[in-house]
Amino acid sequence: MIGTVKISAQSSFGLSGYWAPLEENSTLMNSYEANPENFSSLKDWGLSFSYGGEFSNTPTSSLYLISLSKQIGRHFVSVRYTPGYQKDFIFNNGQSILIHDSTSQALDSKYTYKELFGFGYSYKFSGQFSAGFSLRYFKQEFDQESVEPVFSDTLYLNRFSKIDNINFWRADFGFNYLPSKYFSFSLSTINLFNINESAVDTTLIPYEIKKYKGVAFGLSVSPAENFDYNFIYETTNALQTGFDISFNIFNGKARIGVTGFHDNYQSPFIAGIIPAISFNTKFLGVSLSGVKYFSNRNIQHTFSEFTNEGLDNIINNRYSYDKAILTFTFALNTIAEKEVQFLDANIVRDIYPTMSDNYLNRPFATAKVINLTHRTITIKPSSKIEGINEDRIVSPVVKIGPKDTAEVSFYTIIPQSYDKKKTGISFVDFFITADNSQPDDQIQKPILINGINSWDGKVINLRYFIKRDYQFSMDYSKKILSRYKSELDSMAYSMSIFYKAKILFNNFVKELVYSANPTTAQDYVQFPNETLKLKGGNCDDLSVLYSSLLESVGIQTALVDYKPQNGIGHVNILIDTQLSPDQARLITDNDSKYFIRKNESGVDEVWIPVETTSLTNFDNAWQLGSEKFNRDALDNLGLAKGIVEIVDVY
Amino acid sequence: MKSTLIVILFFCAGIISAQNFKVEKVIGNVKAQIGASENWSQIKPGEILIANSTISTSEKSSVSLDGNNIHFVLKGSSALPLTNLKKMSLDQLILALAMQDMINAPRKKEEANSKNTAVYGAEINGIKEPFVVSSNFGVQRLNGAVQLAESGFKESAIIDAKETFRKYPETSKMSNFRIYFANLLADLNLNEEAYDDFKQIGSLKLDSEQKSEVAGKLDMLSKKLMKN
Repeated sequence: MIGTVKISAQSSFGLSGYWAPLEENSTLMNSYEANPENFSSLKDWGLSFSYGGEFSNTPTSSLYLISLSKQIGRHFVSVRYTPGYQKDFIFNNGQSILIHDSTSQALDSKYTYKELFGFGYSYKFSGQFSAGFSLRYFKQEFDQESVEPVFSDTLYLNRFSKIDNINFWRADFGFNYLPSKYFSFSLSTINLFNINESAVDTTLIPYEIKKYKGVAFGLSVSPAENFDYNFIYETTNALQTGFDISFNIFNGKARIGVTGFHDNYQSPFIAGIIPAISFNTKFLGVSLSGVKYFSNRNIQHTFSEFTNEGLDNIINNRYSYDKAILTFTFALNTIAEKEVQFLDANIVRDIYPTMSDNYLNRPFATAKVINLTHRTITIKPSSKIEGINEDRIVSPVVKIGPKDTAEVSFYTIIPQSYDKKKTGISFVDFFITADNSQPDDQIQKPILINGINSWDGKVINLRYFIKRDYQFSMDYSKKILSRYKSELDSMAYSMSIFYKAKILFNNFVKELVYSANPTTAQDYVQFPNETLKLKGGNCDDLSVLYSSLLESVGIQTALVDYKPQNGIGHVNILIDTQLSPDQARLITDNDSKYFIRKNESGVDEVWIPVETTSLTNFDNAWQLGSEKFNRDALDNLGLAKGIVEIVDVY
Repeated sequence: MKSTLIVILFFCAGIISAQNFKVEKVIGNVKAQIGASENWSQIKPGEILIANSTISTSEKSSVSLDGNNIHFVLKGSSALPLTNLKKMSLDQLILALAMQDMINAPRKKEEANSKNTAVYGAEINGIKEPFVVSSNFGVQRLNGAVQLAESGFKESAIIDAKETFRKYPETSKMSNFRIYFANLLADLNLNEEAYDDFKQIGSLKLDSEQKSEVAGKLDMLSKKLMKN
């Protein structure tokens, strides 16, 4: 066949039409024609076969294309083999041989244009931006028959074929920008680099594939749910435009689309359309597409016309026939598809390592997440704080409706062995996992990790400082009490608790002096062994020490939180003597020095307030504690008004 | 977070803001316990007692106190923490009762045992005023609380009595005192609190007159509560 008109189609023409390269589309983007930047939303492996036929008398290969793709982290690579991307031209080259019987034999030329294979690479810089390139290999074979005289005993003519191969590489670059799931923009080069493998016979230049340089702009928008409008324009005055609609069916997505294409050389203005229908599931896709030209394709063209016009697109040109293409795609996902995604994460509480139980009951962070699927999913949040957690700590699961957002809470476990005294910034990795074994999404945030002596100022949390150093307190208390064994053994058991409390206080106060914030101006609480080692502490430290010593030998205590009035707060302790109200007279003649609380069994017991900063002796500390408790907690109704609070250590 | 100075200021502030009382007249044996001291000391006319003191009178003794626009006479066999010698509003009483509930859940029912007590007294406004001659300090405090109520300090008298019932469990079995203070609650229209008290009193050992009174009060209070 011979062409007579200009034969240049647009570079972006693809046999499956032009589809929106939006993130949600699972169609394999194996068209380097419209997608030289090699963008893909594929998650792992992809394999596709395109099989089809041309409505002509001389079909080329039925297997149009095989492609293999792989996502590796942020990298995406693809290779394709295109045996069907071939166009052959056979024509009489204008020469003929006259045979002795007056018959003549025409000499033919066969020009074959092939795109053999291609390679693509792209890198996803973020969820919105990716860039890449494609490299394609073209083969051009110019086979021209000719004759040459052979002189020997007789002269005869030798008919032979002169074959010239002019093969070249084409490289293009581009990027994709998806600011939202409803909009995408792409920009790519056309024939940016063309490298010939060998020197070109100048007589064949008119027959080579034309390599006009240019740029292609692509745009896709989704103005409505399940509807995409697609447009691509090339600076060689070619364009494609079309739309596709989709709907969910059989756990997959069906799409129907049509693309019209126009170039500067074919007529009518819209040279043809590419209708396509596809169905994609998570792992499998099938599409049927066709190319329908609006002009008559059965016109004879002369060789001189072909010589004048040349060829610049193998699969879409003046000589192309209507086609039908069936494409199978396989997504071999060894990597799970993302079902849930973080929108944001916030640290709601800094970490105070000593108050470890707090983080089991109350979240230290929350995050907003979105269900990307069309079904209700159950997600498992987890987190790992650098420097604290060795493994991910899983928080309670949350159910999220289709396409809905939810707030999830993150809890954590702080190991007892954590002993860093220095406060510093660390990082926490948040993970959300849906049905997959691997997290669907991950986000990192900075977090303040306080030293183990740091305290958030809430008296209720002093309990953690009381408990942490238990072994030390137990050893210390037992060592002191053992010195008074005979006295304690000889008294009534009911009185022993009171006297143990008295003995312990009178012994440790000998070693201590009161000091306000001996270590730092910030909220800093010493552990019992530190207070004894430093020989002092403030009301928090001393209350922690005394309570810890008592609790370690089974004497129940409570902290009294005198909440700050005009910025001044105070802490001291209450001791459960386990004496009944009737027995109170055994320890005091003043009934204002104790009050009654029920124990867990509902039995009334005598409790006494002790001012731990009164480092003189137990009796003075008890007296001062009572006076303050009576005045602030009882007489001024501090307990009822919430100004004073009793915080049981256990 | 706190300093020595701050702690000292705390205690001083309490002392400075305390309501002091001047001892006007003393008859017989009257002692005072200052603050959280373990010691009792004889008091004399002209002496100033700080508010966190407790005074105690022996039988046939009395003390007359003056301060903060209050003139009060504590009769014999009585004891009174001076912190309770104050005018309380009804709101303050409700708050104080709620606070006592927070600290002290109601006692379990126990068998009444009120031996060695003799009851005498007069009826005031239809309420029989109890008085028990006893060396038991809890009973002395109840005697003091009754006198508080007589002198118009009903609200602080109730608080004083309730604290006494808790600290001196044997006094909570003394039905005459229990009925007296439950009636005070009813007088102040604290019907729910009064009803609870009468319910508890109903489980004590009562004479027929007391049984009848308690039943009547429960009936009246339950009707009032129903209306509300």
